[in-house]
Amino acid sequence: MFTIENRPDGVVVLAGRLDSAQASNAQSFLDRLQGAVTLDCRGLEYISSAGLGVLLKTQKRLMASAGKLRLVGVNRHLRDIFRYSGFDQIFEIEPLE
Amino acid sequence: MGAATPIRDLSARDLEPILAVARKLAVSFDLDTMLGEVASAARQVLEADRVSVWLHDAATDELVLGSSSDLGAVRVPASMGLVGSCARNRRLINVPDCYADERFDPSMDRRTGYRTRCMLSLPLIDHKDELVGVIEVLNPASGAFDEDDEALATVLAAQCAVALQRGRMMEAVIEGERMRQELEIARSVQLGTLPTTMPAVPGYDVYGRFEPAGLTGGDTFDLQVVDQGLLVVLGDATGHGMGPALTVAQMQAMLRMAFRLGADLDTAFAQVNNLLAEMLPADRFICAFIGLLDPGTHRIRFHSGGHGPILVFRASTGECEVHLPTSFPVAAMPLPASRAAATLDFAPGDILVLISDGLTEYCDPGGEEYGHTRIHQVLRQHHVKTMAELADVLLESVRAFGRGAPQEDDVTAVLIKRESERPLAASSFARSLDSLEAIFGFIGTMFASYGVDASLRQPVEFAVEELFTNMVKYGKASEAGVRLTLVRIPGGVEATLIDHDTEPFDITQVPDANVDLPIEQREPGGLGIHLVRRMVDSLEYEYREELRQTRITFRKTLTGASGSGGAPKTGDGHVHD
Repeated sequence: MFTIENRPDGVVVLAGRLDSAQASNAQSFLDRLQGAVTLDCRGLEYISSAGLGVLLKTQKRLMASAGKLRLVGVNRHLRDIFRYSGFDQIFEIEPLE
Repeated sequence: MGAATPIRDLSARDLEPILAVARKLAVSFDLDTMLGEVASAARQVLEADRVSVWLHDAATDELVLGSSSDLGAVRVPASMGLVGSCARNRRLINVPDCYADERFDPSMDRRTGYRTRCMLSLPLIDHKDELVGVIEVLNPASGAFDEDDEALATVLAAQCAVALQRGRMMEAVIEGERMRQELEIARSVQLGTLPTTMPAVPGYDVYGRFEPAGLTGGDTFDLQVVDQGLLVVLGDATGHGMGPALTVAQMQAMLRMAFRLGADLDTAFAQVNNLLAEMLPADRFICAFIGLLDPGTHRIRFHSGGHGPILVFRASTGECEVHLPTSFPVAAMPLPASRAAATLDFAPGDILVLISDGLTEYCDPGGEEYGHTRIHQVLRQHHVKTMAELADVLLESVRAFGRGAPQEDDVTAVLIKRESERPLAASSFARSLDSLEAIFGFIGTMFASYGVDASLRQPVEFAVEELFTNMVKYGKASEAGVRLTLVRIPGGVEATLIDHDTEPFDITQVPDANVDLPIEQREPGGLGIHLVRRMVDSLEYEYREELRQTRITFRKTLTGASGSGGAPKTGDGHVHD
């Protein structure tokens, strides 16, 4: 189960499991975003490398026009993955406290 | 010298020999030497013919002539004779004519042929006002003891009493230390016979655990692969201290030797029993389970001399069977004839539980015993765990039950489990990303049914997803699905993915991604294997040419060395661990 949606304040809320099977869903949603975007990851339990690819592609596109992604509420498992993949150097990440 | 106030003033000439003996006693540590010094000083100072020093044995209320460590020493009740009277009343007694005094016991004279005429008896009272003994001074050269002699003897007795008491205490300390050292040696002999590593027995999880209770206790266990099978021993020798510790070590050595020489179980049990019965004191015996497991037929043959109940957890019913000992304790008496062993058969998942009474008889502060029912409960609840984990749970359960009560006896557990049929969980999945949901469901079910730690689930799912999607992406459009097998291993899980009709491609040789590149140079993809390496303990690739089959196996455990594929990169500060 994976959901991605806009909150009224513009924050994008990701929840569930962003695995290979859900990557294209996520990609088509993120492709519509512009500017500086906050991703609320508090409900995001799981991410695989396919999910990382989606985030990377989006980040590159946004940065080309002075935008960027900010990830908030990132759980420990996800943080490990970001760290091991060097994504912590590419994204601004706020851990889930 | 801060002497007690003497009855009259002592001259320097009088004091000299008393000072000399005090100095000698101060440097002496040996009670026998001290007694000799006291006697010779008294003889010299009082110009007497003989001196006897009696020590008071408070345990028996007897007076002992000379050192009490001498077994042949003369002992008299502290109520008998002049010496007894002196001890009881704690008063100096000066008897000018012993044979005229009814308290005098002439038996010593009769024994030695000596003739006691007059005798001065003084109690030896130490600085804590405790009776140390009595000194008797016999037959002075002057013919009788006068008041001066009494005064001198009183000062001398006070000096000697303190020194002798110190000597006795020192002797007790040395004796205690010697016994402690002997116990420690016996303990290390006993511990030295225990297996240091658990043998690997295909299809079985075998584990033994020994928790010693201080310096006492006589438990042992053995798990050894011998030609006849797996030797399984649990022993508990009666009593505490050095004897039992050495006895079980001896039995252990005898059994290993017997099996190494090719003895069959029945002969080994009978011979070891008979030999120990000859050697051990009549009141000593060992409760021992001695068995041989044949992992091929899944049958254990055993003798249990006095060890019981023997518990068998049956996976099919989830209940415990209880088996009784097959004979009297080992070494209790010779076996009239060797008898046939009892047998138990293991079905998959069954557990043989051997536990020493130190565990079942562990008492809580109220004196209630841990008992067997609680063991059954632990088994029912935790049988899917590894045997090392099960032993932990059992011991934790006992400790929790004991609520801080001290461990009175050795606690030993031997656990033998026939592994559930491998694979524990296996399923094939169509080669499509749509299978991921089913794969995650399968992993979740396996974790729940086999009690795998939930914190391992995400890394395991991650690794399986990455490996599976690689197979989907790069594999030929094989009709056969990808087979996923999950096996419970100690502390975690082993996963194997099998892909059919593939070309060889060793994923373990894929170089790591360069995660330090600036974002413009980073591309989506290429991270999967890089991350899997960091998530799991081990990652193996195997290609079976004849089957055109790829097998990828990884292990993930709680204690395992994650990130075996390279040191994890630390972040730039946004991530806080």
